Amino acid sequence: MGAETPSASSPAEQAAFLEAAMQQYGKATYNFAFRLTGNEADARDLTQDAFVRVFKAWRSFQPGTSFLSWIYRILTNLYRDELRRRKGRFQEEIPEDNAPQEFAGQRPLAVTPIEDYVESQLSEPLSKALAQLSNEQRQVVVLADIEEYSYQEIAEIMGCSIGTVRSRLHRARALLRRLVERAQRPTS
Amino acid sequence: MNNAQHINTATLIDYLRRELGPERDAIVLAHLEACDGCRSEYEAEASLGEMLKAAAAREELEFPSMIAARVWETIRNEKPSPFAWVATLFRPAIAVPAGLAAALALFFVSPLSHPADGPKIGAVYYLEEHAAQQAQNPLMERGPSASTFLETASADSGVPTELADDTSLGIASSGVLNAVR
Repeated sequence: MGAETPSASSPAEQAAFLEAAMQQYGKATYNFAFRLTGNEADARDLTQDAFVRVFKAWRSFQPGTSFLSWIYRILTNLYRDELRRRKGRFQEEIPEDNAPQEFAGQRPLAVTPIEDYVESQLSEPLSKALAQLSNEQRQVVVLADIEEYSYQEIAEIMGCSIGTVRSRLHRARALLRRLVERAQRPTS
Repeated sequence: MNNAQHINTATLIDYLRRELGPERDAIVLAHLEACDGCRSEYEAEASLGEMLKAAAAREELEFPSMIAARVWETIRNEKPSPFAWVATLFRPAIAVPAGLAAALALFFVSPLSHPADGPKIGAVYYLEEHAAQQAQNPLMERGPSASTFLETASADSGVPTELADDTSLGIASSGVLNAVR
């Protein structure tokens, strides 16, 4: 499996294909799912479904194209289907039985607690603002501003026109700026 | 574009994302160097992008190993569809040789492959058969009329013609059959 495109030349490689895909792109896929859903439980389910789909449809992957774009497209479609099923909203993260969540060994430990606190205070308005966008607007912001895809690539991943991508991004950014500015304004 | 014509935010976002063509890109660049208002707006948009990236980097999660385990478990537990074998029949590696074999078998079984072996029926036989059928069935479109047969029958059997005219079709038919005999 290459740096960007896992090769898929024979049926016997199906399991190896999936294994390599999860090793190389599992983290990026999971983070993308997390940014779309806003919670880890749904992100885990979505990522799991996406990799099962990768296993089944491994022959349809075109070697030489971006694997990440392919799995993001799969994930976006699954997310859309799930939203329809749930009628629009993913659940908020609720710890079961007040048990500590599965952060052991998963969160970066490079920051000290005080720095962590300061950073969380800074990013909190942005996270809240992101959560207030519509699902389509959030998808386009994540793909454009965080994943840094072009309009053309986003259109292919989301299955819509470039014009739709452009207008969604413009509206989403305008809304984000208003929400962040409002959140950062000192309360009297 | 001069300084009086400010650039709208949508165009600034496209410029920020390198989505404008070279000509429009150059125009926006020149305008931003000269217009403080638009440059300020551009910097606000750029700052939002940086904040989003930074927030995402801070929130970055590791890939939980449980997902990989659950993926393999799902794949192992999934039962194959009862119609999955039908799909395999349509794979070219199977469908093409199978189709070829079926076509060859049909060709060799059909009479087309061995026309000389079949029984021959001559045209004379068909003519004789046709003539016999016409003679036996007086109601056929092109055969002799029923009255002709009745007249013949009554003459041969001695039954008066008036009675023959009044008889039912069943009696008349038996007379016809007798006449033919």
